[in-house]
Amino acid sequence: MTTIRRFSCNDLLRFASVNLDHLTETFNMSFYMTYMARWPDYFHVAEAPGGKIMGYIMGKVEGQGESWHGHVTAVTVAPEYRRQQLAKKLMNLLEDVSDKIDKAYFVDLFVRASNTPAIKMYEKLDYVIYRRVLRYYSGEEDGLDMRKALSRDVERKSIIPLKRPVTPDELEYD
Amino acid sequence: MASKFGLAGGIPERRVRPIWDAIDSRQFKNALKHCTPLLSKYPNSPYALALKALVLERMGKAEEAFSVCLNAKELLYTNDSVLIDDLTLSTLQIVFQRLDHLDMATSCYEYACGKFPSNLDLMMGLFNCYVREYSFVKQQQIAIKMYKIVGEERFLLWAVCSIQLQVLCGNGREKLLHLAEGLLKKHIASHSLHEPEALIVYISLLEQQSKYGDALELLTGKFGSLIMTEVDRLRLQGRLLARGGDCAAATSIFQKVLELCPDDWECFLHYLGCLLEDAGSLCVGTKNDSTYPLKSMDSQVSHLTDEAFGSRLSNASSLVQKLLTEASDDTVRCPYLANIEIERRKLLHGKGDANKLTEALIEYFFRFGHLACFASDVETFLHILDLDKKTQLLEKLMECCERIPTNPRKTLGQHITVFKIQNIVGSMFTLPLNELETTAVKMTQLYCENLPLSKDLDAQESMYGEDLLSMACNLLVQLFWRTRHIGYLVESIMILEFGLAVRRHIWQYKILLLHLYSHWSSLPLAYEWYKTLDVKNILLESVSHHILPQMLSSPLWADSTDILRDYLRFMDDHFRESADLTFLAYRHRSYSKVIEFVQFKERLQQSSQYMMAKIEKSILQLKQKANNIEEEEGILESLKHGVQFLELSDEIGSKSLTFNEELQLRPWWTPTCDKNYLLEPFEGSSYCTQETLHDQIKQSQAKVVKTIEKRSLLPRMVYLSIQCASSSFKESVEANGVVFDPKLSSELRLLLDRYANILGFSFQDAVGLAFDISSGLKDSEAWSCNLIDWMNFLVFLNAWNLYSHEVDGDSNRHGTWLIVNSILKKYILDKVGSMGPLESSPGCDLPNLVLLVTEPIAWHILVIQSCARSLVPSGKRKKKGGPAENFNVQLSQELQESILSVCETIELVRQWLNQQIIKSDDYKSESILSSLLEDKEEGPGKVYRVLESLTSSTSDVDFGDRITRALQSWSATVISRKIICSQRTALSNFLKICDSKIKSLQALKAHL
Repeated sequence: MTTIRRFSCNDLLRFASVNLDHLTETFNMSFYMTYMARWPDYFHVAEAPGGKIMGYIMGKVEGQGESWHGHVTAVTVAPEYRRQQLAKKLMNLLEDVSDKIDKAYFVDLFVRASNTPAIKMYEKLDYVIYRRVLRYYSGEEDGLDMRKALSRDVERKSIIPLKRPVTPDELEYD
Repeated sequence: MASKFGLAGGIPERRVRPIWDAIDSRQFKNALKHCTPLLSKYPNSPYALALKALVLERMGKAEEAFSVCLNAKELLYTNDSVLIDDLTLSTLQIVFQRLDHLDMATSCYEYACGKFPSNLDLMMGLFNCYVREYSFVKQQQIAIKMYKIVGEERFLLWAVCSIQLQVLCGNGREKLLHLAEGLLKKHIASHSLHEPEALIVYISLLEQQSKYGDALELLTGKFGSLIMTEVDRLRLQGRLLARGGDCAAATSIFQKVLELCPDDWECFLHYLGCLLEDAGSLCVGTKNDSTYPLKSMDSQVSHLTDEAFGSRLSNASSLVQKLLTEASDDTVRCPYLANIEIERRKLLHGKGDANKLTEALIEYFFRFGHLACFASDVETFLHILDLDKKTQLLEKLMECCERIPTNPRKTLGQHITVFKIQNIVGSMFTLPLNELETTAVKMTQLYCENLPLSKDLDAQESMYGEDLLSMACNLLVQLFWRTRHIGYLVESIMILEFGLAVRRHIWQYKILLLHLYSHWSSLPLAYEWYKTLDVKNILLESVSHHILPQMLSSPLWADSTDILRDYLRFMDDHFRESADLTFLAYRHRSYSKVIEFVQFKERLQQSSQYMMAKIEKSILQLKQKANNIEEEEGILESLKHGVQFLELSDEIGSKSLTFNEELQLRPWWTPTCDKNYLLEPFEGSSYCTQETLHDQIKQSQAKVVKTIEKRSLLPRMVYLSIQCASSSFKESVEANGVVFDPKLSSELRLLLDRYANILGFSFQDAVGLAFDISSGLKDSEAWSCNLIDWMNFLVFLNAWNLYSHEVDGDSNRHGTWLIVNSILKKYILDKVGSMGPLESSPGCDLPNLVLLVTEPIAWHILVIQSCARSLVPSGKRKKKGGPAENFNVQLSQELQESILSVCETIELVRQWLNQQIIKSDDYKSESILSSLLEDKEEGPGKVYRVLESLTSSTSDVDFGDRITRALQSWSATVISRKIICSQRTALSNFLKICDSKIKSLQALKAHL
């Protein structure tokens, strides 16, 4: 049961049950507010009956030419609301905005190479591992750059996996 | 950063690039080196100076930087030949801002804009300055100027937002909105409208003026397509129709939304509200931002006739039926819940049937009973059922669990749900003790039996059945509350520690655990667990309440300082950067976010916790330095002698504070920071229900306001007390060449009056009560809930009286000394006498004991020090003979006696602490464990034995490597030792504080 709406500042004061989860990073204020100010359509929250926050997604749109793409910065769901495909709904929403409003070519995201459950989930949502980014996380753990092509990328060129891993400084956007 | 610079202030880029490169790579010395040749080549370039100032500021040389900035400013103003560009000004702006001189930056831009009235870059810079200063009127004026020059939509919207801000966050009258509307209308007539956000702002402007018809016209006209997502447009349309009172049209719009988004629960409530024309739903869209949102579903009764009501609800049922038929997957829950809501509405209207509601609930359970959120989904609906129906429902749900053939994960989920429902309907609090215990055992067994389900899960993933241990813990705490048997408390801790050994990331366990440890005087351990929650950034505002209040009444000063520092730093940083982020929203045309950001900053600035933390940080500093009057005076000076806080205390009543703590995550036994049911006797059904919870929160919030008012008087009262005490001897004061201002004494008298008023007494009554209690005429119970406040009052009263001699008259000039000394001793004696051994006395009054020593006694010692200092004049020789000399002798004697008395008082605490510390850890640890091992039919230990048999058995059950390792590593002895060790740390810290106080008193005595 999901009322999905734009994320607002006041939600920051109500999302502890989501963010206390150890895998969910609590960023500094300018991070959240920059996303809200620049990409308000990419920052959504799901609310349960009674107003509890179930989870949220934050992302952005960036790139040039055929790399114009939506990016998922964070997607997270509170323990109480897991295992009911909420992350999928939130991802679909972001993909929709990227596809229909911003006419992006693809959506991408980064995930820790060790985070098997998340990788499996993204694969179920039709994301493919596009490339491995060496020591992407704090210079220690590798990240996987996963992508899903959108309707504008008719030939699905954006998701043809790269053969070799890249280093963080080779990334076009961070 | 360097890349954005071309030719600046007439300086070629190649000359400034090395400076920027050095700044970017934080090589400030190097950057400064590059500045010297630049300035010798361009001595009159404000840009070159601005760069130097920037470097100096980064090097921490604030004063130098400021003076260089002023030079640059001077040049800008006086030298007509210098180039003024945005680069120069923005560089200066950065430095001025970092030096807290926003006004200087603004005046530079104002000057530049006056000189070059059509330069858009400079005007945008100036607009930005006004955003930083929250000068909404000036923002509006400059935005209009820009709009007039280039006619761009964005500048008009900047002006419109600035107008809205005047109305929403400033003193602007509502008619300003009409002006904004006029501006937009005119613009649209000549330029049309292009940005979706512009449309949203325009509509909000109309809504704020209740012009819903106009707003609808706009939305359904050609500009409507600016909002590209259809459901967003429809939701807005529905809201406008509802607010405009056109319920029928709103209903059909919300119906459309539901057809597109069948799982949108909020929309269903709007739909139903409009369909039934209940007033509550007509103000849809005004988002309830309270951290405790009252459910919008409460108390809605329709005014429709029975017939109309019935027919409309049958429309609703048809819609829901349609949605159910069309629902393609089994994750859409809204229509099922909608059926329950329809039955609930019928009941509210007096036409319902509770059985049907129950049926709908069971239907929902069949489909979604295994989900962790089932119980919270249906919570509101349960409250409408009477006790019988609730019981019947529970029985039926239990039957369902047995009946539905399903997979083990779902069955487990359903069992958990039933336990949760039992908890919500309150039946857990009416169970007899043995059943309560049996349930806790059952929950634990269920958890253990189902562990194999999680064997293949990743260590990061939440495991099946984790809720069971929290629930079992809650029952064990209840058992502890009801029986006062410590074994249950130990079990509740063990079960959580056990759960965390199996998977160490479960924050729900950590929160419960930290509160249990806090209750059991094991604050260091509580704090350890708190730290593992990694509370940072905005969570500091919403989550700190779990630990902060306990820490402030503990002897863990260093940790408390850290917590306060981190929290205040976060808040202050946000206030500093918030305006820049608001400007970012302006730049990116997210106009609705502009308003939101400013309102949010205000919300945080009004935070009760923020105000409290600022005061407590200062009080903590005063506590830490209270053994040395000179150091204390240094702190007081840095606090402007407490004057600022005094202003806060004056204003607090008229401020509307915000309460941003997420209290929902607190355990049932301590729903707010100032409430702990475990400290009260169990009285049957006194369990915190939703209603009492709401009342409790309101009470607690009202109390916070009083507490802020009271605590912010404290630094000033400490200061004034020192002053008054130092003047208890006019002769000595004169001998020291210091003249005492009698106004300080009258000020202290006034503050004492206020302090007494806050405690609910007049000054005279408060003094009378103190005398009566000290002479045994009245029972000291009157003070028990505000003990520390009363003691502080007495100490300050004595200090004031030392100068004024008004309380006890001439016959007994220093009688208040005696009262303070004897009452402090009496209370300390009471406290240490009534506190049992820490390891077997959870909830003991250690916090108040700590506060007694670190506040009233500390302030009293300061008063003593201040008297002593005035008694022993520095420099000049004491006069011999005469009345002054006799007086000195008398005061000296009183001081000696006071020192002795306070030493004895603290010594009582020391003795108690030493008794606690001297006992061996083994002994204490065993006594904790033995509370679990009593081999009785009744009493604690059963849950523990479930865990023990799981960890010690070499069963064939396959738990997987990770879980097996965790089970093997778990040890109750280790946990009990940790508790002891943590208590010991707290005690040792306290002992150190006591020791240092005695030491300083002894030194003082020797000096007299």
